[in-house]
Amino acid sequence: MAEGVDFEDLVARYYAPLYQFAFSLTRDESSACDLTQQTFCVWAAKGHQLRDATKVKTWLFTTLHREFLGSRRRQTRFPHLELEGVADELPVISPASVNQLDAGELFDALSQLDEIYQTPVSLFYLQDCSYNEIADILNVPLGTVKSRLARGLARLHQLLADKSKP
Amino acid sequence: MNCAEAKAILLLYRTDADAADPQVAEALALAEQDAVLGRWFADYRATQDVLREKFRQIPVPAALKEQILSERVVMTGKKRREKRVMVAALAALIIAAAVIGFFNIPRGARPEDSFAMYQEQMIYYAGAGYAMDLATNDPQQVRDFLAQHQAPADYALPGPLAQAAMTGCAVKEWNGTKVSMICFRTGKPLPANLPGDLWLFVVDRKSVKDLPAAGTPRFTQEEHVATLAWVQGDKLYILGTPGAEADIRKYL
Repeated sequence: MAEGVDFEDLVARYYAPLYQFAFSLTRDESSACDLTQQTFCVWAAKGHQLRDATKVKTWLFTTLHREFLGSRRRQTRFPHLELEGVADELPVISPASVNQLDAGELFDALSQLDEIYQTPVSLFYLQDCSYNEIADILNVPLGTVKSRLARGLARLHQLLADKSKP
Repeated sequence: MNCAEAKAILLLYRTDADAADPQVAEALALAEQDAVLGRWFADYRATQDVLREKFRQIPVPAALKEQILSERVVMTGKKRREKRVMVAALAALIIAAAVIGFFNIPRGARPEDSFAMYQEQMIYYAGAGYAMDLATNDPQQVRDFLAQHQAPADYALPGPLAQAAMTGCAVKEWNGTKVSMICFRTGKPLPANLPGDLWLFVVDRKSVKDLPAAGTPRFTQEEHVATLAWVQGDKLYILGTPGAEADIRKYL
């Protein structure tokens, strides 16, 4: 059981990555704060039901993602996409040109991704979650995570390449 | 594995830990052998590093952690209130049963009169995103306001507490008795829903049972709120703040 998890320790450890994840989804500080706080409220009410304390991180990210989807009131079934050919679509974009983009432009590009790509791409870059954990959070098979990531990254790079053009 | 397949695999490469995957290891080996693929991968990784850094630079609001923790205090208070309601309902059933002759319950001190219950209720007020009845940093205005509302106004502030930044006051009730809530700021970042983060509650000592021994402040850590309670003269004082024992003792 996860009952022995100290709430304050939990907040100290995860509030920042959860907020960053929330911000990457909402692009709004207030909404990201609300989502983060709501996630810990759900933990306070239901966290004791989690049997495996090693799953706390996944549980928190999953809950935040569900809260985000709930706030969007949108549920859609998405197809699995094959990886083949994705790498060929990847535009050439230099680190220097990406570095010149400000955070607003980056998250603006991220927000233009379809939601099925946006979430795994955020989790990919935040690097707090393994591929298996991302699969758990999104409740999809590992292969689907990878295909969505590949498509999402390709699309994001394309958008960033467009933005960095003079 | 050809270059296109290796590229598709390396697209998702994040850290050296990924290299433990046999497919990734094979793709990495190919990138070392193939100059074009190797150059693409080096550029791609550099771009990815920049993007990753930008994600991780998302600034987290300074007060967010305190906000979450203060919300926890509210939730804990709510849970306990719900529990008290259940206990009260059960007690009512038992009393009703006694009235009709099934039980004979001896009279005693009501638990709602106890110091522990009073303290819990005051901490709940403090964390519940209260609104002050009077917002001012003028100590005399606070005393005048409390006196006008029949709440304890002739309280004695310990020296260090008197030096803290006062932000106002509110009048609360405890079992029909007026409680003075005097609010201060510690100087730490303040959660958005709280006008202060250091609270002094003053009440007539006769309204609370099981008091701390006179002259010996009693320390309690309730969740992340530290409190000190003491009796002086005819009054009971409770001072609370989010933090640990050292955070509260410095005000006495």
